Amino acid sequence: MKPDSTWRAFITPFVLLTGPGTIFISITLLLPLLTIVMFSFWRTESYELYADWNLDNYRVLFGEAAYRTFLIRSVVSAALTSFICLVLAWPVAYYIARHGGRYRLLLVLLLAAPFFTGVILRIAALQGILGPGGLINMTLGLAGFAPIKLLMYTQFAATIGHIYLYIPFMVTAIYLSLVNFDFALLDTAKINGAGPFRAFAEVTWPLNWIGTSIGTVLVFIPCLASTITPRFLGGPNATSFGMSLSQQFGETGTWALGSAMSVVMFIFSFLVIAVMSLTIDLRRSGFTGVGK
Amino acid sequence: MIDLTDRSERWRRRPMAGLLNLLYVFLYAPILYVIYASFSQDIVWPFPPAFTSQAYADLVSNSLYSDALFNSLIIGLGSGIISTAIATAGVIGILRYPSKRRTLIIVIFLSPLFVAELLIGISSLAFNARILGLPGNMVSAIAANAVEGVAFSFLIILSQLVRYDWQMDEAAMVFGARPARCFWEVTLPTIWPSLLGAFLISFILAFNNLEISFYNLGAIPTLPSVAWGSLRFGLGPELFALAALTNGFVFLIFAVMYVLMRTGLVKFGYRGK
Amino acid sequence: MSTHDDTVSLSLQDICKQFGPVKAVEGVNLDIRQDEFFALLGPSGSGKTTLLRIIAGLEHPTSGRVMVGGHDVTYMPPYHRRIGMVFQNFLLFPHKTVAENIVFPLRMQNIAKAQRGERLSWAIHLLRLEGLEARYPHELSGGQQQRVSLARGLISRPALLLLDEPLANLDRELRAEMEIEIRRYQKELKIPFIYVTHNQEEALTMSDRIAVMRNGIFEQVGHRTEVYQKPATAFVAGFVGQSNQMKGKVDTVNGGLLAFTWKGTKLVVPHAGNAKAGDPLRFMIKHEDVQVEIASTKSTIPANHNHIPGKLRDIIFKGQTVNYLIDLEGGMEIVASGSPRDMKLSVGDLVFAFWPQEAGTSFKL
Repeated sequence: MKPDSTWRAFITPFVLLTGPGTIFISITLLLPLLTIVMFSFWRTESYELYADWNLDNYRVLFGEAAYRTFLIRSVVSAALTSFICLVLAWPVAYYIARHGGRYRLLLVLLLAAPFFTGVILRIAALQGILGPGGLINMTLGLAGFAPIKLLMYTQFAATIGHIYLYIPFMVTAIYLSLVNFDFALLDTAKINGAGPFRAFAEVTWPLNWIGTSIGTVLVFIPCLASTITPRFLGGPNATSFGMSLSQQFGETGTWALGSAMSVVMFIFSFLVIAVMSLTIDLRRSGFTGVGK
Repeated sequence: MIDLTDRSERWRRRPMAGLLNLLYVFLYAPILYVIYASFSQDIVWPFPPAFTSQAYADLVSNSLYSDALFNSLIIGLGSGIISTAIATAGVIGILRYPSKRRTLIIVIFLSPLFVAELLIGISSLAFNARILGLPGNMVSAIAANAVEGVAFSFLIILSQLVRYDWQMDEAAMVFGARPARCFWEVTLPTIWPSLLGAFLISFILAFNNLEISFYNLGAIPTLPSVAWGSLRFGLGPELFALAALTNGFVFLIFAVMYVLMRTGLVKFGYRGK
Repeated sequence: MSTHDDTVSLSLQDICKQFGPVKAVEGVNLDIRQDEFFALLGPSGSGKTTLLRIIAGLEHPTSGRVMVGGHDVTYMPPYHRRIGMVFQNFLLFPHKTVAENIVFPLRMQNIAKAQRGERLSWAIHLLRLEGLEARYPHELSGGQQQRVSLARGLISRPALLLLDEPLANLDRELRAEMEIEIRRYQKELKIPFIYVTHNQEEALTMSDRIAVMRNGIFEQVGHRTEVYQKPATAFVAGFVGQSNQMKGKVDTVNGGLLAFTWKGTKLVVPHAGNAKAGDPLRFMIKHEDVQVEIASTKSTIPANHNHIPGKLRDIIFKGQTVNYLIDLEGGMEIVASGSPRDMKLSVGDLVFAFWPQEAGTSFKL
């Protein structure tokens, strides 16, 4: 009669509802990631993996200058892209959230719309404008000017590509934070004597820091792992860590080294998340928790 | 708004509005260019304009594209359905039934957001090929795409459902509704817009995904992998036509939304004046 | 309790409910009769809502039994209990019309369509909702939403109607009107109502019997006049009605009365249970039991009354009544309440507060 028998006590509605997702993510994400960690200590020889446990892959990774360069290049590029996106996205998201009125959702969706077209097609589109045969440089050429070299297969062009691809993430994250922000608090700050910049620094910025830091992470991580953009916009001097990594699983077939590179990439992503979450003080963030 | 009379406020607004417009130009100029070029006879330097629809005819007649479209649709639909179902159950679980493990569950469900697509693709390739011994197949491609979909769906549904009052379901139960009936009659009619949103996002993510699908499928073509191929071996005009069509479809949806909002039929969550 | 008494509709037997280390309900026993309007009165956190949820089946008790109409329903899920309920924030289904909301319980019980229509018009008529059938909840006023919520609770003629602070979200005027009306439905339909509230006025206006609850236990269960006039504990005395409180030591016990000293003032008050000379004592007297008189007319105060001199600090006009705030010597204060008709005092007057020796209740501390 009483429903608290042993199996019922364990199989609660909470377990039944969250269990499928937990199992799914464990099998399709956690186990594969653990596999990669394991392979990173193995050895590849002529496209075959051998389970001799060793640290050679990491030795190669940190010993050879090329890999160090790729890594540093990717990390710096990702950090720079995140920063530029942050600076550009804030005023835009603020304007939409505060002054967008009834069309604000539409305005945000318009920024996110290019995201509905796949990465490849967008890079192709960008190449059609920036590339050597692209709109800008061809026009300059026809008008008798020298083409802008900076736009043709350079790290600069790759960074423009990254901003193009990922700024919608940043705007959306900040916007979602701002629409739940009570702008009347700014009036309170102003009535109490804070100027507009002071009010922003003391009220708006800290109360929307969680959204901002989530946006930063969401831009940083795909930039760090970016392969397509540097390949098609960056040219020979912009080889990224991600490009080199995917080569290990493709052309060269050195899976063990590729696994070690994946582990390093994951560690860097994780570091950024960790640093960002350290800057969040939940009690001062205006976050009031989820559910009951 | 009261700010309209405030001159300094207006002066601060203008640069922001200007930046927003510049951003729109930045985001849309390449796309408009591609749409323009897709109708041109010469895509390398399409000036002066000479229009043709040859690229669209080539796109339709090439069976590689239709196979790829079919595969992409299957991956998108499968991943969208799995993601939405799993995320909905998870969100209801953490919101409705208090538990000490709630934070852990939230971290697990959101963790795919913080793993790059490249890593998801490569690690599931390694796991499937070397641990399970499976060749690339649609099932593992759908599952690997759904990983990311679950996280996005969870975030979207959670942000909407935190405002849902679960006492509504208790009321229905007291009046005689069993749990399934209760979900169907009371919960679902209220929350379906966020489920639809989650489905659309995870569909589009999986439909457009290159890296996750590529590593899980091997030689099976999808639209992004065909596009990737033609980007590597020189741009075909069909690719431009494809990009134009995708964008046309997306903008059709936005135009409908705009008309609905203009006529006041739907508000899409806006509750102001 | 093996034999079932037909007049008992709901019976709670030794109900306990624990949330982790917190005891929300501790050993509650209660029988509610078929024709009764019963109020569960208590401050927030007293366990009254938990108790209501246990009756509805939304929570299971840690121990004890819930009997409805003689059947044990302790672990029966809510959807099999056929109980009606009215919620604090109405909880009307926002996507259903008024009519659809009201017939919801009948649809869940698979009642034939013709009969549903018949019952719907009965409920619409009873709650005077004619003409609103096709509206949606957000198109209704608060009072109308409350009526729809009541109609939904009553349409299936449940064995029991539970009301969880149903008037808390209404404005004052509407509340007073609904109080009378809800009581009228109960008397007409003869369905037992269990009404949870933290508002003592509501409980006194509407119910036949009241249980005053605190920290998961019943402090007192009784007829409303009994709870008001003869509070069983100091908590009940303080919670029901407005009282003055005086703490002191018992001097002497004299039959039904005792003498005690409150901060230097000697008073004679009713005897409290087993209090002996020297025991600490708390005496509570309702504001309306204390009278005020100008000091110069002290001679009019009858014998066998306590009287304390003071100075009228302020007069609080409340419409039907007037409260006199009187400063006493030593910084104490006493409040007397009276009718505004005989308002002949003004602020600053030297006055006497007085009351008969039998009035009020004392409690041994």
